[in-house]
Amino acid sequence: MKPKILIIRVAGTNCDSETARALEEAGASVQIVHTKRLIDRLLDLSSFHGLVIPGGFSYGDYVRAGAIWASKLYSKLMDEIVSFADSGKPILGICNGFQVLVEIGLLPGLGEFGLRSISLAPNDSGKFECRWVYLKPNGSNRVFMKYYTPDRIIRMPVAHSEGKFIASNYILKVFEERKLILLRYVMPNGSPAGGVYPFNPNGSYMDIAGICNVDGNVMGLMPHPERATYLWQYPDFTSKIYGELEYAYGDGYWIFKSMCDYIIEEII
Amino acid sequence: MRYEVINIPPEVYIFHISEFSDEELIDLSRSLRLNLNLVELRSIREYFRTKLNRGIFDLELHSFSQLWSEHCRHKVFRGLIVDENGEPIIDDMLKNYIAKATEKCNKPWIVSFLKDNAGIIEFDDTYSIAVKVETHNHPSAIDPFGGAATGVGGVIRDILGVWASPIACIDVLCFGPLDYPMDAIPRGFKHPKYLFRGVVKGIGFYGNNMGIPTVAGAICFDEGYVGNVVVYAGCIGILPTSSYKFSSKPGDKLILMGNSTGRDGIHGASFASSDLKEDSERISRSAVQIPDPVEEEKLRRAIIRIRDEGLASGITDLGGGGLAVAVVEMADRIGGGARVFLDEVHLRESMLPWEIWISESQERMLLMVPSENVDRVLEIAEEEDLKTSVIGELTENPFIDVYYHGTLLCHIETSFLLRPPKARYVAKWYAPKLHEPFFDEPMDYGDLLCKLLSSPNICSREEVIRTYDHEVQGNTVIKPLHGDYGGPSDAVVLKPVSNSWRGVVISVGVKPWYSRIDPYWMAASSIEEALRNNVCVGGRRIAILDNFTWGNPEKPDRLGSLVRAVKACYDFAVGFDVPFISGKDSLYNESPLGPVLETLLITAVGILPDIRRAVTLDFKYAGNPIYLIGLTLPELGGSQYYRLMGYIGSSVPKVDVKSSKRIMELIIEAMDRGYIKACHDISDGGLGVAISEMAISSNFGAEIYLDRVPRVDVNRNDVILFSESNGRFLLEIDKKFEDEFCELVNSYGCNAGRIGFVSKNSRMVIHGLNGNVLIDLEVELLRKCWKGGLKL
Amino acid sequence: MVKFKVRVEVWLKDELVDAEGKTVEEALKDLGYDVSGVRVGKVYIFNVESESSSDVERVVVDICERLLANPVKDKYFVSVLGHEV
Repeated sequence: MKPKILIIRVAGTNCDSETARALEEAGASVQIVHTKRLIDRLLDLSSFHGLVIPGGFSYGDYVRAGAIWASKLYSKLMDEIVSFADSGKPILGICNGFQVLVEIGLLPGLGEFGLRSISLAPNDSGKFECRWVYLKPNGSNRVFMKYYTPDRIIRMPVAHSEGKFIASNYILKVFEERKLILLRYVMPNGSPAGGVYPFNPNGSYMDIAGICNVDGNVMGLMPHPERATYLWQYPDFTSKIYGELEYAYGDGYWIFKSMCDYIIEEII
Repeated sequence: MRYEVINIPPEVYIFHISEFSDEELIDLSRSLRLNLNLVELRSIREYFRTKLNRGIFDLELHSFSQLWSEHCRHKVFRGLIVDENGEPIIDDMLKNYIAKATEKCNKPWIVSFLKDNAGIIEFDDTYSIAVKVETHNHPSAIDPFGGAATGVGGVIRDILGVWASPIACIDVLCFGPLDYPMDAIPRGFKHPKYLFRGVVKGIGFYGNNMGIPTVAGAICFDEGYVGNVVVYAGCIGILPTSSYKFSSKPGDKLILMGNSTGRDGIHGASFASSDLKEDSERISRSAVQIPDPVEEEKLRRAIIRIRDEGLASGITDLGGGGLAVAVVEMADRIGGGARVFLDEVHLRESMLPWEIWISESQERMLLMVPSENVDRVLEIAEEEDLKTSVIGELTENPFIDVYYHGTLLCHIETSFLLRPPKARYVAKWYAPKLHEPFFDEPMDYGDLLCKLLSSPNICSREEVIRTYDHEVQGNTVIKPLHGDYGGPSDAVVLKPVSNSWRGVVISVGVKPWYSRIDPYWMAASSIEEALRNNVCVGGRRIAILDNFTWGNPEKPDRLGSLVRAVKACYDFAVGFDVPFISGKDSLYNESPLGPVLETLLITAVGILPDIRRAVTLDFKYAGNPIYLIGLTLPELGGSQYYRLMGYIGSSVPKVDVKSSKRIMELIIEAMDRGYIKACHDISDGGLGVAISEMAISSNFGAEIYLDRVPRVDVNRNDVILFSESNGRFLLEIDKKFEDEFCELVNSYGCNAGRIGFVSKNSRMVIHGLNGNVLIDLEVELLRKCWKGGLKL
Repeated sequence: MVKFKVRVEVWLKDELVDAEGKTVEEALKDLGYDVSGVRVGKVYIFNVESESSSDVERVVVDICERLLANPVKDKYFVSVLGHEV
């Protein structure tokens, strides 16, 4: 049986089809559905094995990126989403999806629900930043990161105006201790970006690009793994040998693959 | 002025136009801001006198104002152009230059050209590619953010208007110099820096929000744009070829979908066709358009669903002239008429009937839907949170009938609304009196190269491009910024179909500086450059689009230069055997500082059979030989080098079609055989800049010998380094195929020189004609100069 | 010269549709709040050196006309909050 994964969308969501493509490449069966259908109870969230909130500019990112979509989910669907997460099923939020997970308080999910203890603030550069970054993954998370060996440096593009990860020192300490930081911006040689632009493209504290909740089954990240699923999506693929391009996957693919593996092993 | 008022309510005016004198006609046009000239007004009067024998409603007058505007009817391109003695030069440039070129090329892969909302060409057996480029100069001058954003929104709707799903946006922008003195800006105009920031923000805002990658373009800076900003916005879409059809018939319902109609943009179309005046800020308040990309994103979803379910018989976007233009053109397309009930239009505020009819509110589309499918279309719209109204239907009776509160406010033959009297214009081109400067060869070539690399028209556009999402949709293969160093790709490549390796190649050519010398060679160079850029990454089977931005065509000198440029378009499209599939003109770009610098944008769309074979400009391996293909001539007129030295010159680069075409064929064959590792065209800033860009984009350097550059009549280092002769490519050749490559070059009979090799030590070393080292610089330094030239 | 603290509000003119305000209004309605007429504006606070409070207003109006507001589509309000003694 294939993992059944739901991608939700609203007005302004725009990375849904390439995210579906990457998930299908990793073996999932994917459905893209307007949030309205869930709210109107035309579809049951619990019939899916995994949930992905994709990138985009939901409702124009007015007020704050992801805030309006989050307010809709929070007021109309929160019980379903919480029990989905509590059942151990994976939830992945990419870019705008990460912002939504933060706004509804599913991330970091420490303490009381709906409590917002972290934020994705406007980039330090004050601009939208579309660029490829180098990242150091934390392979200890088995849900999303299991394919990344400890020394691996990976590449993906970011594209956002509000991606600066902010949290209190206390929260940051908890994150570090519990190994909840899943992706960090690094220099091309793998040393910490240390906040240096453009390697850390937005000024995130501790170079944080992606995190998970305490149980490890809810992940949010600013970079776009669906745009680094194939080698031909890479900015320097023309330096590669012709034959390599057909079979090899890009770094982003392995997050989706890991998620599908986890569903097959633990959920189905 | 004789008129009466009827109170429906609201009040509606009826003018007894049949009895109007010429003076009254002019007065009428002026007081209602119709922007119709006397010839047109007389023709309307004649029609009402002889055919209808009644007064004219205000709504009818506004219909003519919109439908007969330059923006909608292209009166100049369609008109008769005569010389100062009244002798015809050319009748109907659109038909006899642009369309004729396409007909001569006679390509079986063209699906639709120069007639629908966008040009369409086949992509493969299943899919087609739709392309459209628009100008949005005047609105951007008034409100750079909103003007540029709605320009993007408008051109995306053109693509939706042929049932295509948008896959990429392009934009070409022209501004005055960013360091232009503040106090030299005419009153009521905005500083280039303000315009630059606003426009860039507006373009990013719309494309990023919609999730359409903004992938290609250009930015030009010149004094000739201080009073007249130029904003070209383009969009490329993909559609199943079988879904491109128009089967509307009488009885099909007219469904207006999207944003509520409000008073914004009223008179936009006629405004776009008049000079920018000092007080245009005040006059054109109603012409400001507010962008709402979220609304358009919803429209996109709904339209693609309606397409895939085959529910509609026709579609068009609402652009200049609003409902009036969209409805009349659709009625004309079925050879019939339409009945419209304005009460049904969903409004944002209370409006007069004529305002509803011509409002240019953004993010609206008009669909023609057979009655039996109406409910399903409304259902889809509802699911996507879109507002819709069924506003009427197409009719067999070839009249446009517009009702409001049960009163008929327009009853005119469809064909008359689309047939303004033929316009006649006088053209005369004055060759400028320019000469070639004489000066000694410069001493410090390293310094010169750095200055050129950091100059506004050459330096990296990274600051701008990074604010555009050029990766969304995940199909951008060759990106505008290549590799880790953000090298300047010649063209971008998209892979739009998941299970196919086929790619779309998009490039542009824009050479406005040459207009100062001769618009004919400006146009020729723009076409050649667009093609050459496309070929650089492997593009072939190329189609092109033309977009003119010119001054007031009612002034013979402006029109004279336009005619020269359009003539060149014909000559070189036929010469290169590349068809025009779409185009647009923006005329009347004037300010107190004079006309805009005459600008022709050529957009080229090619095909790459296998994206895995794409070639980029960055050096790949140390030790590989570097070849320069094509001849270098003493052609520095209008060049970036002369600009830096403070000259214009007269030796404008020309285009040798035969040899240039041959070279492009050679390059494609050598690429397909795998000989070429890197390829870059030689353009602004000449060989010096082009070779630097190849190194900047890579981890390597180069060792170059100028005496090996193939050339004619050139014996100065600076001419070899900075001449902008067309038709030249720089190639890195795979060492192990060098012999085969040379054989191929010989068989094609092209000029080629092995001018040096890729070096490991990442230095740029250039040897002069007499063997001395002219330049020896770290590539990192060149990179710094090139990257630091432009700040947002 | 005295340093004045100034506050500027910039709004889209009432007759222009405010897409952001419209979206926020719908979201608030979704949350069950009975709101209408939502508009979104920007507030700037900055210091300006000037000779007198009448002069500072002239300067700030100029600042608004030149950059902060686009007189074609925006309206703005200037208030002088205070000055250094």
